[in-house]
Formats: sequence, C-alpha cells, structure tokens
Amino acid sequence: MATEVVVPMLGITVEKGTILEWMKKEGDPVEKGEIIFIVETEKVTTEVESPASGILAKVIVPAGVEVPVLTLVAVITEPGEELPAKYAALSTQVPPVEAEKVSQAEQVPTPMPHQVRPAEVAEAAPGGAIKVVPAARKLAQDKGLDLETVSGTGPGGIIVIRDVEAALKPGPELAAKVSTLAGRLAKKEGILLQGIEGTGVRGRIMRADVERVIEEATAPSLGKVIPMDSIRRVIARRMSESAFTAPHIYFFTDVWMDPLLNFRRDILPNFEEKFGLRLSINDLLIKAVALNILDFPLLNATFKGQEIYILPEVNMGLAVALPDGLIVPAIARADKIGLAEIIRQRADLVQRARSGKLSMDEIERGTFTISSLNQYDITYFTAILNPPQSGILTVGKTRDELTLVDGAVKEKRVTSFGLSVDHRIIDGTVAADFLQNLKWKLERPALTFLNL
Amino acid sequence: MSGSEGAMYDLAIIGGGPGGYVAAIRGAQQGLKVLLVEKDSLGGTCLNRGCISTKCFIHDGKILEAAKTSQVLTGAEALSIDLGKMVARKRQVVKTLVSGLGKIIQSHGIDVVQGLGVLIAPGRVKVSLPDGSTKEYQTRHVILATGSKPAVPAFIEVDGHYVQTTDEALDSDDIPGRLIIIGGGVIGVEMAGIYRTLDREVTILEMLPDILTTEDAEIRRAMRRLLEQRGVKVHLKARVKEIAVRDNGTDVIFEDEVLGTEVLKADRVLVATSRVPVLDGIDVGKLGLETDGPFVRANERLETNLPGVYAIGDLIGGMMLAHKASAEAEAAVANILGASKEVKPERIPRCIWGFTEIGAVGLTEEEARATGRPVRIGKFPFMNSGAAQALGSVIGFAKIIGDTETGEVLGFHIMGPHATDLIGESVLAMSMESVVEELAEAVRPHPTLSETVMEAAMDWSGLAIDSPKKST
Repeated sequence: MATEVVVPMLGITVEKGTILEWMKKEGDPVEKGEIIFIVETEKVTTEVESPASGILAKVIVPAGVEVPVLTLVAVITEPGEELPAKYAALSTQVPPVEAEKVSQAEQVPTPMPHQVRPAEVAEAAPGGAIKVVPAARKLAQDKGLDLETVSGTGPGGIIVIRDVEAALKPGPELAAKVSTLAGRLAKKEGILLQGIEGTGVRGRIMRADVERVIEEATAPSLGKVIPMDSIRRVIARRMSESAFTAPHIYFFTDVWMDPLLNFRRDILPNFEEKFGLRLSINDLLIKAVALNILDFPLLNATFKGQEIYILPEVNMGLAVALPDGLIVPAIARADKIGLAEIIRQRADLVQRARSGKLSMDEIERGTFTISSLNQYDITYFTAILNPPQSGILTVGKTRDELTLVDGAVKEKRVTSFGLSVDHRIIDGTVAADFLQNLKWKLERPALTFLNL
Repeated sequence: MSGSEGAMYDLAIIGGGPGGYVAAIRGAQQGLKVLLVEKDSLGGTCLNRGCISTKCFIHDGKILEAAKTSQVLTGAEALSIDLGKMVARKRQVVKTLVSGLGKIIQSHGIDVVQGLGVLIAPGRVKVSLPDGSTKEYQTRHVILATGSKPAVPAFIEVDGHYVQTTDEALDSDDIPGRLIIIGGGVIGVEMAGIYRTLDREVTILEMLPDILTTEDAEIRRAMRRLLEQRGVKVHLKARVKEIAVRDNGTDVIFEDEVLGTEVLKADRVLVATSRVPVLDGIDVGKLGLETDGPFVRANERLETNLPGVYAIGDLIGGMMLAHKASAEAEAAVANILGASKEVKPERIPRCIWGFTEIGAVGLTEEEARATGRPVRIGKFPFMNSGAAQALGSVIGFAKIIGDTETGEVLGFHIMGPHATDLIGESVLAMSMESVVEELAEAVRPHPTLSETVMEAAMDWSGLAIDSPKKST
C-alpha cells in the first residue's frame, strides 16, 4: 500500500515550511525512520523521517518550495508496487503562497539539493549563529561536541546529523562510551549507536546492549508496529513535555447538575425559536467556565521564562477526539460572546477538526481547556495540561445518586469535575477556590448567567 | 563484634572464606548491617588450607630450584629446604593474613560470630557456639558461602598420615620419599610440583584420559610433558580400586585400561580427586533448598529458590576458585541492593601453579571451534621473549583465540613464567569487550613478560615482531 509523506506539524504555531533538501531521490529505497528530507520553518529546521519502508516513488513537492504543514509532498510505495494512478497524475504542487518564487525548473519533481536558495539559507542564521538542524544540535549537545568544530554539509552549509556523527566518530568521546565489540556489531548490523542505553560501567554501550536493540527490532512477538504519524508525534512530544515540565496537581468535586439541567430545559424552546440553534449542556459549561475564569485570572495564564502572563481573553479550548489523535481548537473570547455564538463556533470547530481543516490560530489560541468524557461511562479522570496553558477542566459522566435531604431520600443528578493545574503558577488554594466557585455557580445557574 | 541476637540484620553470611568475607565487607561498605558466621578461621580454605599455603610452598621450592639450576651460583648443590621452617613460614603468612583480615572486617563494623551457622529458614540463622550454646539471629537476607572440602571416595580412609587430603598435606612438616597423588586436576598438578621440587618421587594417577581436562589441549600437552621431564610419573586412565595401608607405607591398587590391575607402593597417598560442597548447617531437604547434584542451585543472580537466600562460591559448583567466589559475592550483594548482576564464567580466569604457571580465561581452542564461529589463533613462545630469557625461564607460550570476523577475544591461554599475573590484562580486555587488535596495539614496557601477550595478539594478525616469518 502506498504511504503518503506529508510535511509534519512542526509546533503548534507553525503553518508552513520550506523543503530545504531531499535526502532521497525518486526511485531510491527508503527505510522507515530514515531521514528523507529537511524542512525549514520560521522557527526550526528539522529532519523528517520516512513514515514507511519502501521506494520513494514520487516526489510531489521539490526542494525550495514552501508549503503548508500536512501538505502531501511525496509518496512511498512498497517494492514492486505500482504508483497508484491518483498520485501518478499529480504534478508538482506549488501552492499559491510561494508560486511566484518558484522557477519553472524547480517544478520538475526531482531533488536539486544544492540549488536551494543558498543565499537565503545562509542569511537565515541570525547574528551569525551556527546554522544547524535541531536534531544535530541536540546530538552535539549530548555528546559535548562544540559545533564550531563541525563543518556542515547540508544545503547552505547547515550542519545536519551526519556531520555531527562524522565529527564524533573518530573522537575518543564516543569511542570511550562504546565497547569495541559493540561498535563493530552495530556497524555490521547498521545500528545507530546514539540513543542505545549502555549497561556497562558508567553507561558504556556493551555488545549485549546492541544485541538487545537488534533483538527488539527483529522480535516477531512484538505484534503490530504502528509507525507514529506526524500528529501522533506532536501529541507525544507535547504531552510528555507538559507532563515533565509542568508539575501537575489535581482537584475533584461533585456538582449537583439538576439546576443546570433544569435551567437548560426551561430556556431551550425560546432559545431555539430565537436562534435556530440547539443549546447543549456543554455550551452552558463553556460559558460558565469562561465566566468563572474572569474571577481567577491565574487560570488564564501562561508561564514563560521568569514571568507569568495573564491573558486578556478567555479562549476556551475543547479537546476533540479524532480517529487517530486529539486536537484542541479554541472558542475565541468565550467570556465575551453570547451562547449562540459559542454554539456556532463550537459546532464549526468540531466539524472542521474532524475534517482536518482547522487553522493554526484556532489550535493555538486556547487559554484554558475543557476535556469532557460526559458521553462515556467514566466517573472522573485527570488530564494533562495543554501547554502553555495553566489549567484544564475534566468532565465525567452525569450519574444518578441518592442523597438524604431533610430526612428524605432524594434522587440527584451528579457530575464529577476534575481540575488539573500547573503548580508552578497556581497554588492549591487558588485551584480549590476556582473549582469550588464553579461548583457553587453551576448549582445556581442564575448566578452564572447573570454574571453575579 | 560478636553479633546481637535481638537486632535485625540486613545480611547474614554463613562462611568467612573469599566468598563470605568479600560479601561482608562489600555489604558493610554499602551500608548494610552485616553478620558474618565462621565456624573455623576467617579466610576459609583459600587462606588457611589452599591457595595461600600452596603459593608459599611453591615459592620456596622455586627459590631452591632456581638456585640449583643457576649457572652462576656456586655451592648451590648443597642447598636443601628445611621442611619445618617451610611449614612455619606458611603458618606465619597465613596468621598475618587472617589477623589482618580480622582487623579489616572489624573496621567495617561487621559482627562476626565464631561457630557453625545453621540456616533455619529464610531470614533465620542459628549459630552453634563452641561452648555448646546457640544463638539465633534475624536477617533480611542470607548469603550461603560455606565453601567446599576435599571429596574422598567411599573406599578410601583418610588417616592423616599415610593417606591425606590437602587439608592435612599442607600442614605436614614431614614429606616422605615416595608419594602417590590420586587425581591429575589443578590440585594434583600443583602438589606434584611442590613434592617433586623437594626431590620426592611423585606419581599422579588420573582416571581420565588427560590431566587438567578443563584446559586447552595444547596447554595440557605442554604441562604433561613438563611434569614428565621433571620426573613426575603421570598415569592416565588409572582407576584406583583400593589403598592398603601397610606397616610403613601404602599399596595403591588401580586398574589400567591396558595393563590391567597394578599395584604401586608409596609412603603416602594424597587424595586430590575433587571437592564437594560443605553443607554443614544447611539441611537441604528440610529447607526445601534446590540442588544441582551435590551443589546448591543458584540462578544467574546467585539467588537460591528460597526467598532472600543467596548462594555463592564453591557451594554452587562451577569453577572452584577463590576469585570466582569473591566475584559472586560482589554480585550477590549488588543484587540484594537491587541490581541485576551476573558473573560470567567465561570472564573468570583460571590459574594453575605447577612447575610453571598456567593462566587462562575464556574458551579453549576446542570449545571455540565447537561454537562454529570463525576462529583464528595467535601464539608466541616465551623462548622468543627477551625478558623470559633474562629470567632464565623460557618454558611455555601465550595463545590467543579470536573470532576472525569481529576480533572478539574468545580465549587466552598462557603457560610460562608469571602466567597467572599476565592473564589479568586479557581478562580486562575481554571485560571491556576489546578486540585482539587492541591487545596487540597497546604498548608494553620492554623488556617484560607482558610483551608476550602483545606478541601473541600481534601474531593473531600474522604480525608478531619477534617471530620468524610465517610460512604460508
């Protein structure tokens, strides 16, 4: 089956990138995980790995062209597989943003690595800094290699991974960390030593460590291996970044839901008649939480360097599950706009999230997030913050409970709410106050919607 | 420093030999509260009745031999060894080491109890004290390190004079004129060297087709030839049937495959057939402790099947060597502390002190070839070594076995002067996963015996310097 190669999401604010260089040309065999092209954006220059093993059957976007992220740039086929007709028909796609910059020659779908805007690349380095791809910089950092000593062989002299590897190879630094037998075995089996955990004295990579990696790579008992697509990679990176940099604390409370449910029931006919829109409990929650945030500005803050930024608007992020991922578009100014506008934005964002047509701004602008599993039989759960936000609210299922009111058993509808906050910014009492206040107001909808 | 009954120990060790005392010191260094139980004398067989004793005698014998074979000393013919002084010196060396060891152990705050340690159950150790009383101790972990003792076939009775094991032999201040050693293993070969150097008549009776059967065939052949050259009679495939003690000697009756039943007369017989584990205080059946033949079974992490109970050293079989026990002691303590350490047998050097020394590590050539890997041999004789010539000790050679493809050092075998010291660098090379070429590349000082190791490694690539060009 043919595999599509796209420009990956390169950070939440990045919308487009320029392919600097194709490391493979059409017809080349490629291995999953092998670097196949280098893409440059305003913020980063990065190496992109092949999502599959096979033949690079078609390069659709040549080097030097700027395209939006997630643009189809190439197709990988299995050996012997014919390029599906729908791809064969594609000629080099040059999106309008950059069309005028691309010459006729560059539209030919073959790589021309060293013709790519060399001047621009060289100038792109601010203040004469060394031009280096992030992965290469990280490797150099890990190995304590001074990048000044490395000469780049990438386009425009940019330092790529292979340059750092070459610089490391003969040096005593790496050699000391790998036993000779391990090194020889790795070379024979084509195993990259970087990243292998060494179990020898002082972390030295021994033969058994390389053997373990080989075994893991060839173990048939592993079951299906699912290559990470670009969305999954972004999720993986952002979630671990959030989990490991922001110390999370969690708070839970049960909210008596009957008042809010009744409130909705009461206004529903008039609301529908006036706006032609169906008001959901979620919409009421979005508004209620947004208004509650106004009383607790720290919950609408981000943490940057040494400062805490309180954001002027509440853009309410909604966690939307996709078939193979998760995306969090945000309703703009949820604190200011009316319920009808909230419904319109929500419906539109969710629909476009599912069809993959959100703009970067819509994903990026969130200042707080609600993650609801109300439709699932989940009582309550914790969530990981969506960086750089400082709070996320979770909503469990609405359940029936019996309670004792004035000596009589009464039925109540109850929902458990969870709050995760970044403890660097928010103290426990602030978070508790926020959640308690939200509970108080949800149980008295008039207080919320009169914004008292 | 005698243990306290009420206390909870982190680690109780039964046996204070090179396994047990190393475990005790390492445990204490790592902050564990350690109890060490020894029924006899700290240092175990190694210090008291084995390695150190034999090395004293071998050294004394070598001095005599060197003097007698010297081309420059005069009057050396009249030299002889005073057996009483030889044994006294050994006792003094042992005493110095044992008391030194005691002080070291004390300095680490280890509680030492003199008595027979009994494992009642995991976590419970009872000690029968010399005065007949008992004490019981609680502990989180136990290391069994009770060691081994000479095995004596059922039909042989050790009387301590006519029939001895090494336990008696190494503390005798008389050595009669004719000796028969039953067993051509490491102990037999070492004792033959000691006795023969003292000008005694020595015969080795070995049941198997060769002596030193764990060693490389070339090494075995060379050592057998050396024994015979020095006048030791080596009788292979000789199955001893009976030892009859007469008025002033013994008749050893044995069966030879070809000659049939034979009788050999001797003034004394040394039984050096093998060693069996010491299980005093370890009631295998009652504890439900799993065994491997006569040995306690321990997995690669040195754990027995009982929770929190580890076993190391001769008790668990394998190579019965002090440094193997010590290495296992360190691994066991590390594992108690949460690591996952193993002791690889192929990294344990084997040492034999005969007329000349043998140092070996890893696979023999036969074993290496049996793996099916591409194997190449490098060799260098001490005859070609300037240092060996100057020392007047040119017997033997160094032999390296390497994987042709990867350069992995599969085995290293040295017979010759200071072979037991020289093997160390090969052990290091193998532990570091260095390759043959690296053993060849490292510069050795000249003139030293260590150059022999380097030249053997060079020869592996056909590049030895002090060897004539190889015919192809």
